[in-house]
Amino acid sequence: MKYTESHEWIENGQENIVRIGVTQYAQKELGDIVYVELPTTGRDINAGQELAVLESTKAAADVYSPATGTIVEVNSKLTDHPELINQSPEDSGWIVKIKVSNPAELDLLMDRQGYDQFLNGK
Amino acid sequence: MTTSKTILYDHHTALEAKLAPFAGWEMPIQYKGILAEHQAVREKAGLFDVSHMGRIGVRGPDAEELLDYLSSNHIMGKEPGSATYTVWPNEHGGSVDDLIVYKNSDTDFFVIVNASNRQKDLDHLKKWAQGKSVQIEDYFEGNGILALQGPKALPLLSSIYPEVAQIKPMHFIRKGYIYLSRTGYTGAGGFEIYAPNEEIVTLWDRLMQLGVEPIGLGARDTLRLEMGFALYGHELTDDIAPTESVSAWSVKYDNHDFLGKEAMQKKEGRKAYGVLLLDKGIARQGHPVLFDNKQIGEVTSGTFSPTLNKAIALILVDRSLKIGDIIIIQIRNTACQGQVVELPFVRKNK
Repeated sequence: MKYTESHEWIENGQENIVRIGVTQYAQKELGDIVYVELPTTGRDINAGQELAVLESTKAAADVYSPATGTIVEVNSKLTDHPELINQSPEDSGWIVKIKVSNPAELDLLMDRQGYDQFLNGK
Repeated sequence: MTTSKTILYDHHTALEAKLAPFAGWEMPIQYKGILAEHQAVREKAGLFDVSHMGRIGVRGPDAEELLDYLSSNHIMGKEPGSATYTVWPNEHGGSVDDLIVYKNSDTDFFVIVNASNRQKDLDHLKKWAQGKSVQIEDYFEGNGILALQGPKALPLLSSIYPEVAQIKPMHFIRKGYIYLSRTGYTGAGGFEIYAPNEEIVTLWDRLMQLGVEPIGLGARDTLRLEMGFALYGHELTDDIAPTESVSAWSVKYDNHDFLGKEAMQKKEGRKAYGVLLLDKGIARQGHPVLFDNKQIGEVTSGTFSPTLNKAIALILVDRSLKIGDIIIIQIRNTACQGQVVELPFVRKNK
């Protein structure tokens, strides 16, 4: 997995369809998630563009796409169970799957070690 | 601006609270989580450190007359030991603050005001006290405030102070330097305690030992919103009249001359309503409200109601609506349907 400074993760495998979500750190900062505004599938999205909105009991937070691509699937379980993001942010609380159009972009993101260092510097 | 810390700051960090700056104070927003804390208050009891709120003494032969003139609710003639919620209107019919006026005697009062408005309230009081026989004292240093709220608040507090069982709602008693008040802003029943800092620490520790949950300002907001209570900066501002808010019930025009009364009567026109969202989404302050394809106003506060498991909002609109009317709240790119409902959203547990 690769990580952004805005606390999203993206899978970094052989496949070019990958999952995106927010990190454990992000869910802790946001607190109880009560609603997730999901995008529509089929939409093209650029790296850094707003992908979804997480509503906590306190405020709304934007989720940005770590990579450029096309949204091929959204995690529709989040519609009725937004708490999945609190319970399992880096697995069953994934938000969308995208078809990455430029895999080289992922090389610019942090790996786990880099992200941990980034968090420690905060 | 430097941020102030309440006397319980180290307690909050030891409890691993999430702290954030609020009105110049470093305050606990949440401990375990807003949903769990909200539920603890509705079902059991929770303890809030609200020492950031302002406490101002108003004393002297003209104190009652001054407070009655500044308040849109009646203050004159209230019994000693009473606590009265009121809005202070400004000269233009807007609102300076909403607060509670505590009456010790005809010449001895104190008010509890919003942290964010403390200085504004002090200036306002001093301005209108000019030429009158009134002393104004800011209890900023050395004092704290706790709120113990929830159905178990009474048995818990009476195990420490048996006399609290006799206090009627919206009344208080004084025990030395400690004020025990049957008030709160959660709709869950309970008490607020005003005391010197050392007493605040002792009481916090004792209530924690009795198993009370600490509650942050996050749940305080979801709790007050379920009751349809105003929060200054949202439902009330310098530009919103008390009569244009959910606090309109507290405005008493009869036999009552008060600052801003005429301006308010000229100004009022907008109305506040509670809305239950029918579509998924969370409305927030500033989101447009539409009716018949026309914008009629805005959301002043919105959140997720943990008790109803639905999103709720308070709106301020420039036309009358009926209970049951369907309106649209524009949440970013989504038009969400909402229904006008009676307030409070959640029935009070006493």
